[in-house]
Amino acid sequence: MSLLVLVILAPLAVAALILILRRASAALALLGAGLGLAASLALLHQAFDGVYPTLIMPGLPGMPLRLLSTPLNALLSAMVAIVGSLVLVYAVGYMHKDPEKPRFFAIMLFFITAMQTLVMAGDWVLLLVAWELIGLSSYLLIGFWYQRPGVRTAASRAFLYTRTADLGLYTAVFILIAVTGSSQIASTLHTSGHAALIAGLLLLIAAMGKSAQVPMHDWLMRAMAGPTPVSALLHSATLVAAGAILLIRTAPLLPADALLVIGLVGGITTVVTGLIALGESDLKRLLAASTSSQYGLMLVAVGAGVPLAALFLLIAHAAIKSSLFLGAGVFQHSRGSTLLDDLRGAGRDCPRSFAGFSLAALALAGIPPMSGFFAKDAVIAAALGSNHVVVLGVLALAGTVLTGAYMARALHILWHGERHPKTIPGQLWMGSGLAGLVALAAGLSLAFPAIEALLGQHLDEGARAQLAGLAAALSGLTLGWFFDGPRLLGPLAPWAKRNFAIAGGMDTWVLAPVLQLAEACDRLEHKLFSGVFATGRWVLTVGHTVRIIDERIIDGCIFALVRGTQSLGQQLRKVQNGLIHRELAVTATGTALILAFLILALVLY
Amino acid sequence: MSPDLLIALLTGAALLGVGIYGALSQTNLVMIMMGVELILAGALVNLVAFWRFLHPDNYAGQMFVLIVMTVMALEMAVGFGVAIARFRARGSVEMEEARELQG
Repeated sequence: MSLLVLVILAPLAVAALILILRRASAALALLGAGLGLAASLALLHQAFDGVYPTLIMPGLPGMPLRLLSTPLNALLSAMVAIVGSLVLVYAVGYMHKDPEKPRFFAIMLFFITAMQTLVMAGDWVLLLVAWELIGLSSYLLIGFWYQRPGVRTAASRAFLYTRTADLGLYTAVFILIAVTGSSQIASTLHTSGHAALIAGLLLLIAAMGKSAQVPMHDWLMRAMAGPTPVSALLHSATLVAAGAILLIRTAPLLPADALLVIGLVGGITTVVTGLIALGESDLKRLLAASTSSQYGLMLVAVGAGVPLAALFLLIAHAAIKSSLFLGAGVFQHSRGSTLLDDLRGAGRDCPRSFAGFSLAALALAGIPPMSGFFAKDAVIAAALGSNHVVVLGVLALAGTVLTGAYMARALHILWHGERHPKTIPGQLWMGSGLAGLVALAAGLSLAFPAIEALLGQHLDEGARAQLAGLAAALSGLTLGWFFDGPRLLGPLAPWAKRNFAIAGGMDTWVLAPVLQLAEACDRLEHKLFSGVFATGRWVLTVGHTVRIIDERIIDGCIFALVRGTQSLGQQLRKVQNGLIHRELAVTATGTALILAFLILALVLY
Repeated sequence: MSPDLLIALLTGAALLGVGIYGALSQTNLVMIMMGVELILAGALVNLVAFWRFLHPDNYAGQMFVLIVMTVMALEMAVGFGVAIARFRARGSVEMEEARELQG
């Protein structure tokens, strides 16, 4: 239980400490990440021993917040911790000279905290919170160099894209909680029927946003504006992985129809973004497109009904892609640019980094005996074994060919060219981070049987899938090495350069209608307002009139009556003058008059 | 109408006229009250005459006269009480001087 807390709070506390102290940030960051890593590994060890600690905290009424360490959670947490720590080691070198180091390390640690919370969350409320925190911290990290041109736009774009897709998650969570009455993830997974289908599709939308699936893939390429360690962390174990993790964790919920849609989205993404990577002219953007493509493959595996294959690819990809990014960061430091044209021959300048980069690239392409091979084979086997083998199998194999092609293209460009040797400050730190991740990328396959044992599931890979995968990877590598990428694309090249943006892009398809809607709403509101104001004026007029009537006429009548009565009284006072004779005379006269009148009446009638 | 009744009514009318004249012409409270007594006496003469000559069997007329005479006596008592009080306070019962009683 305390381990669960330590996993999450150690990085968070150190992040706060860094922000307070503002010095020795690198060492502190390593300490925080190391503590989290140790706790995470201890949890994994416990999971292997069959101990699954749970922490229940008071949350919403009737919906306590749960942190729990299932085998899957512990595994993912260990992955996040390991990749995060190694990236931080690298960042010590990479951010060596940056004056804003404390902010960087604090946000990185916060990012790791958020991701660990997401991975360990046992109920939807906590998961939503973590999901939002990931979005926030990635926004802060992508926009880290906010003074540079275009960075703020990229950060906002990434944030808004993922934020929009988050609505899917919110709605799905509301539906699940409303249907089952419980916020515990495990108990909501038994939902079935229409609710499960709708919730599954909404979860897919959320995952599409976070994992940059077509058509929401554009932001990931632009997110390269952040520092390279950020990209490495973002693309491997945290932000982008959140989408796939969400689908892997909710896989038991998803009905067959939702699975098919997920598989199709993943398949289309893996091909489309693979083509984009082939035509890309910037190394980091190429890697970003490749990330989308690999997550597409994971969705294919989920769609084929084998989330374990997706999990393998997720873990392998986390190690591989972070090492690729770290390698790209080394080349970036040596040439001061990430454009492929500027990076020609950069691999010869730093051969050791290039060796690591190549190993990771081959692993991503799926060359045995590295982790990528086994993971990718699991995915291909899943696709070939699914009910929709024609679609999913072909798309998965095409994605694999494309992976080989763009990785070979990148290697080709990095190797061929002139040398400009240059010493890079902080290379020791960067090298060690990179080496650790490359070793992980290469050797992770050894851990796969253990993972299978841990999760209590087994994958049949089959020779057919292995052969098909290997053939696809090799043909892709050959194509990419011997032919220029844009030429391979042929007529698709200009499209790929534009990220396969839908014609007219966001402006035409989303922005203009939204603006029109907003204007219509504005007009409607004006009309409503004028109506309300007219009514208001009318009512005020009526009120005014009523007041005038009240003041002038009613009050006037009453006061006139009062004045009349008073003056009449004044008049009558004069009669009462105390002259008793006059009064007697008046009395006598009056009596005489009345008598005369009565007599007259008596006589006449 | 019998001549007796006519004579009685004329007597009553004369008393009334004298009484009204006296009440209006005199300024002394005592004299005014005497005028008022004469007015009432005229009325009583009429009542008695109507009873005696028109409805001699109806004793209600007699009773009515007796009650009016009692009320007259009471009125006199009150009136003279006021006059005495006035005389003690001001030394006079002239009504022209009593204007100060006006509110």
